[in-house]
Amino acid sequence: MSIVTDLLAKPGVIAAGEYAYRGDRFSYRGTLSDEHARMASIMCRATTMGVNMESRMLEAFQTRNGLYPPRGWVVHGPDYTVCVMANVFCMLDNAQGSINDMIGFMRQALAKVSSNLI
Amino acid sequence: MATLDELMKLPGAMAAFEFRGSGELLEQRIAYPERINESTLDLLAHMCAANMCIATMQARGWEKVTHMKGFYPIQECTLIGFDWSVVVSGLDRERLKDKDRGKTSLPPFTGVVLANEKADYEAAFATMENPESTP
Repeated sequence: MSIVTDLLAKPGVIAAGEYAYRGDRFSYRGTLSDEHARMASIMCRATTMGVNMESRMLEAFQTRNGLYPPRGWVVHGPDYTVCVMANVFCMLDNAQGSINDMIGFMRQALAKVSSNLI
Repeated sequence: MATLDELMKLPGAMAAFEFRGSGELLEQRIAYPERINESTLDLLAHMCAANMCIATMQARGWEKVTHMKGFYPIQECTLIGFDWSVVVSGLDRERLKDKDRGKTSLPPFTGVVLANEKADYEAAFATMENPESTP
């Protein structure tokens, strides 16, 4: 099974997908329209690029800091959470799912993915 | 407001800090000065301030375009690195804005650096959102 299928099987996940770092492709499953999924993948990719830049800057300033290499990011809203690890994103309903479980699962499942943005 | 000392009680807490929306570091607690110092926290605070702004803009835009609610305002923003994570919250600022619109001096953002192995993100969110409920 793909990680997107695994994520969608988890409680509270309303959508999950993958995007190419170079920005020319994305795929998703869940309760989003094609256009909204495209928009989500563009925002996730842009933020991931920014987070990578920040992490590299921090590493240049202080080597061996634990935020480098970056693995992902999470934004937590009142009802929904967006969790992104490597080039995989998922949207979680806060009332139905566990953020700790989601981050733990994604960290483990994507642990061997290269941090090079290609 | 979650105090820095409360945040330092979280599992795996390495540092806690307060910063302005401009990124200026105001106050900090550091558990392992040999691993993370004030200068690093200062740069991190500027990064976190920028990320909160961008995430808030994206959540606002997302809600406007999709008509999906529940993403805005951003309550916490988290960066996950190889060994550490940093969780920041601006929720107190939103509460003040709701309560007292027009006030020019907003409370600071709060942040905590956690070791990933012990990190309990939901506990960090709860401490930042409901500090009175924490032991």
